[in-house]
Amino acid sequence: MTTEAAISLEQLNKSYRESDQQHVVFRELTLRVSRGEFIVLLGRSGSGKSTFLNLISGIDPPDSGKIIINGTDITSLSEHDRTLFRRYHIGFVFQSYNLIPTLTVAENLLLPLELIRRASRKDRDSVAELLDRLKLSDRLDSYPDRLSGGEQQRVAIARALIHDPDLILADEPTGNLDLDTAEQVLELLDILVRKAGKTMIMATHSQEVIGKANRVFSIRNQSLHLE
Amino acid sequence: MNSILKRASRNFLWQHPWQLALAILGIALGVAVVIAIDLAMESSLSSFNQAARAFSGNATHRIIASDGGLDEKLYSRLRVGLGLANLSPVVTGYVKLEQPGEDSFKLIGIDPFIEKSLHSGWQTGHKKNSQQDLLTQLMNEPNSALLSEKTAQRLKLPVNAPLNIVTDHGTQQLKVIGLISANNAVSEQVLAKLIITDIATAQEVLGLFGRLSSIEVLVDKNATETLSTIQNVLPGSALLISMDNQGDSMREMTRAFSINLKALGLLSLLVGMFLIYNTMTFLVIQRRHLIGSLRIVGVTRQQIFLVIIGEAFLLAIIGTFIGIALGIVLGQGLLHLISGTINAIYFHIDTASLMITPLQIGKGVLLGISATLLAVLPPAFEATRLSPVKVLARSRLESDSRRLMQSIGLISVVLISASLAMALFSGKSITVGLASIFVILFGFGLLTPVLTLLLMRLIERLFGRFLGILGRLPVRMVSAEISRTGIAIAALMIAVSATIGMDLMIGSFRQTVAQWLHSSLPADLYVSLPGDKMAAGKALTDQFLKEKIASLGGVQMLSSVFHTKLIADDQLTKVSAFELNLKSRQGFIFTHKVAANFWYRFENQPTLLVTEPYAYHHAVKLGQKILLKTDQGEHSFEVAGIYADYSGDQGHLAMSRQNYQRYWPNLGYSGIGVYAREGADIKQLESGISQLLTMPQSVKSDQDIYKASMEVFDQTFTITETLRWLSAAIACVGVFSALMALQFERTRQLGILRAIGITTRQLTVLIISETGLMGLIAGLLAIPVGLIVAYVLIFVVYQRSFGWTMAFFFDSGSLFQGLVFAFLAALLAGVFPAIKMAQTRPAEALRTE
Ligand SMILES: Nc1ncnc2c1ncn2[C@@H]1O[C@H](COP(=O)(O)OP(=O)(O)OP(=O)(O)O)[C@@H](O)[C@H]1O
Ligand SMILES: [Mg+2]
Repeated sequence: MTTEAAISLEQLNKSYRESDQQHVVFRELTLRVSRGEFIVLLGRSGSGKSTFLNLISGIDPPDSGKIIINGTDITSLSEHDRTLFRRYHIGFVFQSYNLIPTLTVAENLLLPLELIRRASRKDRDSVAELLDRLKLSDRLDSYPDRLSGGEQQRVAIARALIHDPDLILADEPTGNLDLDTAEQVLELLDILVRKAGKTMIMATHSQEVIGKANRVFSIRNQSLHLE
Repeated sequence: MNSILKRASRNFLWQHPWQLALAILGIALGVAVVIAIDLAMESSLSSFNQAARAFSGNATHRIIASDGGLDEKLYSRLRVGLGLANLSPVVTGYVKLEQPGEDSFKLIGIDPFIEKSLHSGWQTGHKKNSQQDLLTQLMNEPNSALLSEKTAQRLKLPVNAPLNIVTDHGTQQLKVIGLISANNAVSEQVLAKLIITDIATAQEVLGLFGRLSSIEVLVDKNATETLSTIQNVLPGSALLISMDNQGDSMREMTRAFSINLKALGLLSLLVGMFLIYNTMTFLVIQRRHLIGSLRIVGVTRQQIFLVIIGEAFLLAIIGTFIGIALGIVLGQGLLHLISGTINAIYFHIDTASLMITPLQIGKGVLLGISATLLAVLPPAFEATRLSPVKVLARSRLESDSRRLMQSIGLISVVLISASLAMALFSGKSITVGLASIFVILFGFGLLTPVLTLLLMRLIERLFGRFLGILGRLPVRMVSAEISRTGIAIAALMIAVSATIGMDLMIGSFRQTVAQWLHSSLPADLYVSLPGDKMAAGKALTDQFLKEKIASLGGVQMLSSVFHTKLIADDQLTKVSAFELNLKSRQGFIFTHKVAANFWYRFENQPTLLVTEPYAYHHAVKLGQKILLKTDQGEHSFEVAGIYADYSGDQGHLAMSRQNYQRYWPNLGYSGIGVYAREGADIKQLESGISQLLTMPQSVKSDQDIYKASMEVFDQTFTITETLRWLSAAIACVGVFSALMALQFERTRQLGILRAIGITTRQLTVLIISETGLMGLIAGLLAIPVGLIVAYVLIFVVYQRSFGWTMAFFFDSGSLFQGLVFAFLAALLAGVFPAIKMAQTRPAEALRTE
């Protein structure tokens, strides 16, 4: 392969131990994702979608195998370095309760930036600009619990992107939204992520997304199956 | 349905072992402190005169006397002249054993045969025959003594062994003729430090020829005539008291001390209640989803309420029983502190042992269970309010509680002002004074959440720019979850301000006493002449000694004091008879202006001085008359002055020696003040004087006395210090549990932060700065509150308790110490939850909610 893969998973094994039972989630999982690719994950509840995303982000370490992101083997990193890696290279969107309730919308967006560098005037401007594009410029100083679910998800997407990461992981970002709102949110993701050429992996049940994906996998029997 | 409910509740409790343990600890510690104080106090009091009581048997009354003791002739006059049969003469004193390292023993001389009519405890448990022999032998054989079996074993003294004892009059030899053992009336503890002889031996050993210490009397309760007949033949120095009254007066004397201690115990319980409240609130909020679902299924409000109360009841029972066990252990520790203090400032008590009565245990159980149920009422009601349709989000709960807080803030301002007014205008009641402190603390506790919000806003306004978002987060977290953080801060604030208040009070008191000591020690050297005042010839030898001291080269002049007890207004009262010179007169600090002829009147007219506590307790005013009993009947003395004295809280009287000797017999001196000539070598003078002294007598410089007195002062406050730190420690546990709960509740939020890329180290710093911030606020608020508490303690409670006026000495050190303590305590309390949260894997954290 000439171009280096953005993500490369090699023979991943992941299981959970519950009392004396071994519950295998993934067995010998291997996958390559190219830069700029949009991957959709399908699967029944409990099949391991969230686990898959947590493995890639380094939130949850695998039992064995390698996870290489942009040439860095994150399984060989310490917990601390994995966190720093995540900080610089990955953006996250969850199903709900994405935002820090004690910070305002603007502060939620500035937080990832501030983790990387001292937020500057320019950063503030770009936050305002981004919120403007999301049509949320009047909610700059609101606290998250004053926002609707759709608005919250839009802010969460903005937060996942604000520090310009290479990889976006989204775990059922529309799972809690009605159809219309879900569509808006997906469109937003499409514009902001895909058009910017970023790699994205999204776990979802939503049929609409499938059409936009480069590849669609479903998780069955502890491994990925191309649809 | 009900059993499923119970199972749901039990499962939940088991899943939170930390909270469970802390709640039980809260109850246990609160109950333990209260029980311990109660047990130690009661045991100390009841050990008063335990030994004597073991020998007084059924006696209903006792004839006691001031220092001169009773004339033996009084006994025969009562017995033969008045035909009273049920009398028992007693001679007591303290002696030392020749063996080094042994405490002093109490020597009791009794009449072995007459004594039997009183059925005293130590006789009844023994076999008749051997007892009879022993008693006869005690009577017939001079210098024979009985000793407890255990003590004899410890000292390795077999029967018929010699027992060498040391008194003021040298070493003497007794012979152990028999051993006695404890029975249900006399405990081993009492017997352990006791030597029993007959009257004659005791008189000889103690040098009390022809004198008795007291006479035990058994009369019919209704025989008022007999009592008044006895009264009539008593000399001026003797007093007939009923046994019941004596116990009561001991209790009365130590009442203020006891109330203050118990208030400290209650403080601990209150802080413990916070722990319970906190845990139960946590458990309710954690289960709001569960409760919401149960309500949908059709579980009624009452059922929910009962489940919560049932849980609390279970915790209460476990906690209370642990608390009682802990309290007994703690009580053992407090016992010697409390009895030491009583010994130092009230009256001599024999070695106290912890006595546990069912009544006290019952009190503890009642207290533990009711305190728990009280603390759990608010969260139990909160649980029933949870809506079945939509479980309220945390933020909704918060905005509700914010609204509530504003009205509570208003109420608390009213509460604080009302209790301040109550403190200042409630007359003499100590309890009301202390209660007002509790209400003030509680009021400020209620006000704390509102003040915290304001402070947080201020901090953001001032420092928000420099802090950055991560730095602003702790500030935000404190105000966002104010219903939890506010209560933790309030609890810490209450504990710290109580600590600051007590610290300032003790400090002010210490300063006041130090200043008083400085001015009331005008002489250069003080000769102390202890020893039994009944002893024959003391007056003469003392007089002789005084003259010798006066004739020493460096001596300019002398002053003297004789401490005794007289019967004033039918109470045995401490009286000091002074011989004063121009310098020593300046040692008195009067609470009023002194007229020009004041000292003339003091020396030559029937006047006396009273100390401030005496004036307070007896409501005595200048110019009032006090009746003192003499052998020639009662004489009235006019109160010419009221002066400051911190040597005891019961107060005493003072008169000139000239006045004293006009009515009462010369029994020597208690102390002689030596004033050195200008330029004399004090050290040399001191050694010169000490060469004139015999064994128990001593000479000390004013500095030595000052130091010794301050040591006693500090010792009497050891107990207060101990209890204060105990309640502070419980408060720390409370704050710890609150912070644990708080962090647990925001697991999801912390998980998101970790997902965004916040490292475990940053998370730890975040949590610790939040708790540190909470501690800082608690400390800052505790400063003004502590000052108010100190003010009320000094000018209301202590004034009422002991009759002392003291000056308020502001000590910024105490305030600073409180602030640092609050900060460090909260910081420390944050460490464990911080570590625990940092260790929680983000994947796990994200799974919650
Ligand atoms: N910490 C854990 N301990 C034990 N088992 C776990 C843990 N985390 C996940 N699992 C199990 O692993 C499996 C996969 O879980 P995961 O959360 O990845 O599923 P999912 O596909 O995201 O489901 P959903 O669509 O409901 O979100 C499930 O069976 C789950 O019970
Ligand atoms: Mg999932």
